[in-house]
Amino acid sequence: MVPPRPSSHRPRKKRKATPSSAGPNHLVLVKGSDKRSPAFPLASFLWSARAGVSQWLVLPLILMAVGLFRWAIGLWGYSGFNVPPMHGDYEAQRHWMELTVHLPLSKWYLYDLQYWGLDYPPLTAYHSWICGKIGSIFDPAWFALDKSRGLEDPRLKVFMRATVVVSEYLVFIPAIVNFLRRYAHMQGVHAWPASVALVAVLMQPATILIDHGHFQYNTVMLGLVVASLDAILAGRMLWACIFFVGSLGFKQMALYYAPVMFAFLLGVCIFPRVRILRLLCISLVTLASFAILFAPFLIGATSDESRSVLTSAPQPPVLQALPFEVDKNSPLYAPIFQLMQIIHRVFPFARGIFEDKVSNAWCAIHTFYKLNRFEQGLLQKVSLGTTLGAIVIPCFIIFRHPRASLLLPALSSVSWAFFLFSFQVHEKSVLLPLLPMTLLLGGDNGLSKETRAWVGWANILGTWTMFPLLKREDLRIPYFVITLLWAYLIGLPPTSLEIYRSRSLLNGEKAKFEPHILAKLIHFSFYAAMIAWHIVEAYFPAPKELPDLWVVINVLIGAGGFGIAYLWCLWKLIVQCREIDRKVAGEESSKKKQ
Amino acid sequence: MAELYPSLAQCAIVSAAFKILLFPTYKSTDFEVHRNWLAITHSLPAKEWYYEKTSEWTLDYPPFFAAFEWVLSQAARFADPDMLNVKNLRYDSWQTVYFQRTTVIISELVLLYALQRFVKAASHANKQLAYAAALSILLSPGLLIIDHIHFQYNGFLYGLLVLSMVLARKQSTLLYSGIIFAALLCLKHIYLYLALAYFVYLLRAYCFDPKSILRPKFGNSFKLGLGVLGVFGIAFGPFAYWNQLLQLRDRLFPFSRGLCHAYWAPNIWAMYSFTDRVLIPLAPRLGLPVNRDALGSVTRGLVGDTSFAVLPEVKKEHTFLLTFIFQLLPLVKLWLRPDWETFVGAITLCGYASFLFGWHVHEKAVLLIIIPFSLIALKDRRYFSAFRPLAVAGHVSLFPLLFTAAEFPIKTVYTVMWLVLFLFAFDRITPVPERPRIFVFDRFSFLYLTVAIPLIVYCSLVHQLIFGWGRYEFLPLMFMSSYSALGVVGSWVGFMVVYFTA
Repeated sequence: MVPPRPSSHRPRKKRKATPSSAGPNHLVLVKGSDKRSPAFPLASFLWSARAGVSQWLVLPLILMAVGLFRWAIGLWGYSGFNVPPMHGDYEAQRHWMELTVHLPLSKWYLYDLQYWGLDYPPLTAYHSWICGKIGSIFDPAWFALDKSRGLEDPRLKVFMRATVVVSEYLVFIPAIVNFLRRYAHMQGVHAWPASVALVAVLMQPATILIDHGHFQYNTVMLGLVVASLDAILAGRMLWACIFFVGSLGFKQMALYYAPVMFAFLLGVCIFPRVRILRLLCISLVTLASFAILFAPFLIGATSDESRSVLTSAPQPPVLQALPFEVDKNSPLYAPIFQLMQIIHRVFPFARGIFEDKVSNAWCAIHTFYKLNRFEQGLLQKVSLGTTLGAIVIPCFIIFRHPRASLLLPALSSVSWAFFLFSFQVHEKSVLLPLLPMTLLLGGDNGLSKETRAWVGWANILGTWTMFPLLKREDLRIPYFVITLLWAYLIGLPPTSLEIYRSRSLLNGEKAKFEPHILAKLIHFSFYAAMIAWHIVEAYFPAPKELPDLWVVINVLIGAGGFGIAYLWCLWKLIVQCREIDRKVAGEESSKKKQ
Repeated sequence: MAELYPSLAQCAIVSAAFKILLFPTYKSTDFEVHRNWLAITHSLPAKEWYYEKTSEWTLDYPPFFAAFEWVLSQAARFADPDMLNVKNLRYDSWQTVYFQRTTVIISELVLLYALQRFVKAASHANKQLAYAAALSILLSPGLLIIDHIHFQYNGFLYGLLVLSMVLARKQSTLLYSGIIFAALLCLKHIYLYLALAYFVYLLRAYCFDPKSILRPKFGNSFKLGLGVLGVFGIAFGPFAYWNQLLQLRDRLFPFSRGLCHAYWAPNIWAMYSFTDRVLIPLAPRLGLPVNRDALGSVTRGLVGDTSFAVLPEVKKEHTFLLTFIFQLLPLVKLWLRPDWETFVGAITLCGYASFLFGWHVHEKAVLLIIIPFSLIALKDRRYFSAFRPLAVAGHVSLFPLLFTAAEFPIKTVYTVMWLVLFLFAFDRITPVPERPRIFVFDRFSFLYLTVAIPLIVYCSLVHQLIFGWGRYEFLPLMFMSSYSALGVVGSWVGFMVVYFTA
């Protein structure tokens, strides 16, 4: 990374910058009269890409570098390694490849449900089928039906890790690259800060640790969501629907984003004027994508063989709950059964309000006031009510002001609300609110100290709440390395306090976008708590009568922090919305004057 | 001042993070070798260090390295005392792995320090060039593959070499340069390959007046002689006192090994073997006698005597003679023009000569050329075009060191990233030479680079798709090795021309 010759230093102004845009100033510190230095290490690493270097060079280098870190994390342990008989998520994914390769479609959602039965939507099933087919070319024994359960062949691990990386590079990374490029363009951000933001997003520790360490394919789902956002920015609403249905079809967790997408797409059809045709197209395309997604199953269910399989299987409760009775002999029975079985598998209503220890409101309340004294139904209603209460404001704002630039704060506040209040939340679900929040780095003033401090803090906190999970899987060292590395690159505590220090910017004026004193106070106390927690957790065993004490403390701190993150995103959404309104009003009044 | 970002320290932090993540990667027998040395030096008195042979990996580095292992073993006690047991063969608890891998990362700080000195010592105008070269060494895929995956301590050793080369820059620090190099020789004797260049340079530039050979500087000679002998005395003195020097010699110079190492290092002998292989089917037509005994040996690639079926046998004496002759040529010029750049060039050429013609050369020794060469590769475009094929060939030839599937993406992606980054960056900043370039070399170097990509793809993927796993495995190895040999030899010829015309 060699700086360009002095003559080519000044970054070209390609696009008309919006008045509020401070350009690349957030990345450059001024020391003395003409000395400039990067504001944080990541800016330093891309220092020579400021100008005059083609994106065709910078982008492949970035992608190679982040790929290396992903693969290196993949060398470590994974979920369920050496933990018979059930193993973990790795075995679940491998098992799905095994059963999709060997069984007819009609059995996919029925086969031996006790042992990691398929409980993700159809796109995951198709993805598993493709991976399983490819893997069987290398070694059929990896996916031999029933015999391969719990297989821990190191070559299989390499293959499985490769499927995650390849899936990510086919879906998530192109989506992020395109989205950030378009988003930066829209917000008048230069290519250099956009590259910096790209690396920051791609090195996000939580996502890397869960997908490449713990082992999951979240990036495919997240990538489809980002592709959908990218389509919205490009004005291709129908593509946005298709991608979003794809992400829902890959992992039901994308539902966290659904209210915002729904409110936005509806809003687009109503404001500023009602557009019936557009609404019609959007709903038709959405329905059609769902239909295509389920079509193989429904068509497959009509064959005689699969009908006999399906009619003999026990009925899922959802089917029993249908308001009409379906005759077992009717030709419609098999497809309806299939559909209901998938829905039953994908949405486990029967499980508790939270699983394991997770940093959300319910788990936090449960610590002090046991919630299992109430019956499931009531808890479900309360959880639904609070979630709705928490998402109604952002959804209304995005519905009333369907602007693409408001999507990210809206998505993050709504998904924080879901994480905090909804039913059946996993600690890994924190990836969902973190992604749109981290993408804020790519926007106007996204790399300002204020945004960087908040986004960084939320990411560090989110990763930290997953530490108990990662620790169980022997991912402690990758956790520390990649989290500290990210903190270092972005310039966050504990590696640097620069972000909370006031400095004048490049043009000499006092910095505007700095964290508020209250924010500093909050962040500092959280960082201190996290560090203290790590020390205590490492050196002192929990008291015998409270073996989960450290985890519970982790959960409580996490829940508090996420609540604050929710409020910040909400506040950001409101502020941005008002700013845009003011700008629009200003433009209109100036037009009138003319 | 031109801003130089990212700083070397920043790069070191990020690469250290990456290297920590590489802890669980494949480790070669060298890992066990070094663990065994930790055990030997920790649990036995120095008298027995060079006699202990419980493990087949006996101590075969000079005394300073043994002392270095002893220092490490003092800390190793706290990580896992079991690794310090001589009888605990192939012991690799996770504490042992973490400890040993960490020592590699920490000892590499010497290299960081040396490179920082190197950048600081560069003149204002050349700062950027020096910085780029330093960065390329710090992030070298060679060091990553050999030290942090395969396992060795080259970062530390090359750090000392670079430090001594940097100190050789100024007349006032020449003495320290000589002493550090002497210490380096007592750490790892492979650097003997470069010793002649040091000898000639120090003699000419330090012990004689730089302007006239007729005015010897007795004071300087005395200081240097005392310093160097002192270092050797400290290293070998105790062993001489115990009368163990002959044992040390047998351990340090095991001449029972074959001409070529297990994997062929890309040198003249690899090309020689390749030619021999090609000649086997042709020999009857050409009327050449074929040595039947040798037919099965070479492709197997095992350590041992390589014998040739058609071409004449190569003796140790031949290799020594060739090495010596080709080391002598650049030294003549060094004697006549004892300036720093000629010195670095001479070191590079000594490295070339020993790598290309040496006996039982290890592919890892290619760093002996790459690292000194990197320091002057950016002098101008003539140097750079000689460096380019070496950068590709040298690193690609290290690939066979790692043969497991999990490390494949790391070695290839990292090397490709390094090549793209630095060849591109170097290409932008290298100044235009004062003399015109030689047309042919430019074309050669360009052609060579373009062949690399399809060849790597073929060897790593296409070959297996065509022939299936495990069939004709020697074919890609042989292609790679011959291709790399061509690159190294080509860059050697190119650099010889540049060196003698400069």
